[in-house]
Amino acid sequence: MALPAPLRASVTPTELELIASEQLVEIVPLVAMERTAFISGAYGPLRPPSKCKVPIWMATNLKLKKKCRIVPPDWLNVEFLEERLVQETTGESFSEMPFRFAEVAKVLIDTAPDDFPNPDKIRSLLKDIREARQAKSREGLSKLDHSELSLPNLCSMEINEIRPFFIRAMGVLIDIIKDAQPQQDIA
Amino acid sequence: MEDDYYSIDSILAENQKIQCTFKVSVPDMGHLDGGNERDIKAQSKVQVPLWMAYILIYSDYADFTIPTSFSARVRSALNAEPRSVRLSNLVGQGGMWYGFGRMIMHLLNDDAAKEMSDLLVKTFRGRLPEVIDQAQHFASIHASTADSGVGGGALGGDHAAMAFREGLDGTERELFALTQASTRSTKRWYEASDRGRRS
Repeated sequence: MALPAPLRASVTPTELELIASEQLVEIVPLVAMERTAFISGAYGPLRPPSKCKVPIWMATNLKLKKKCRIVPPDWLNVEFLEERLVQETTGESFSEMPFRFAEVAKVLIDTAPDDFPNPDKIRSLLKDIREARQAKSREGLSKLDHSELSLPNLCSMEINEIRPFFIRAMGVLIDIIKDAQPQQDIA
Repeated sequence: MEDDYYSIDSILAENQKIQCTFKVSVPDMGHLDGGNERDIKAQSKVQVPLWMAYILIYSDYADFTIPTSFSARVRSALNAEPRSVRLSNLVGQGGMWYGFGRMIMHLLNDDAAKEMSDLLVKTFRGRLPEVIDQAQHFASIHASTADSGVGGGALGGDHAAMAFREGLDGTERELFALTQASTRSTKRWYEASDRGRRS
């Protein structure tokens, strides 16, 4: 195969970010624009100062041209994340987060830190949550089984990170467990 | 490690010698043992490659003994502490200990095969978290030194960790590399700033 080994099993984080950028986010436009058709759909019209839903790629583009303010999603604030962090550190299972929260949070906070009340606090909370969740997926590793893996509420970036070696390890287990698959005749 | 004819891993795993005791005399085949004898006599012990052993064993020309990679000593060491055994020493650098074990397992009958499988699984499970931990640890060291422009001088870790890394077999090395690559790319993404790329 022509692809380097790490790219065969998984997509790259940047590709996930691209996918996540199709999600809609609320903005407060600072310029007026008629409803406009894009390849992924028609968005607008933008009528300041009323809110409007556009994809993240469009919101970040407008934001960088200072043509809108981004309204943070309802899960991307200090109170919500603090509550989730407590759940994450006390409970056994993964707490429920939006599936692409890592990508969305990073893109929004990186491009529009001035639209968040406390961006540094949010960043450090996200980092804490990520580390707590990593510790749990590591735990899952020791319970690895050849036929199934159940880690509910794992989000896309985390799945992507562990996918290559989890599937390889499960593949090895299938090979070395007797009768995991129908016995093949070698001779 | 699968039985695919074209699988390189499978070919590498077969590249191990196994001691066979011939039950019959084979004329003109003495060169297999590398000796000067012209014939292989019955009851003589010959080291043959695993890929050749199959046909000898299945055709009932020879019996085999469990290779030293899976001897009682190795087994009890693995039972005591899977992480302290150097698998790479047992099969040679880059060898496939699990693949070799799996092929031996297929040659054995039910009970012995079950025992072999249990040994392999227990060892793999016992070593896996350590393999992944170290790979992730190394990925983060490399990512941060690469960013700051410092070479890989800060590597090393303590002695036990290094010994463990050297003892990884081919399959574990592959896992190590996979983990390192994915952890590194994820970490890089988390640390990179977005603004420059978009504006």
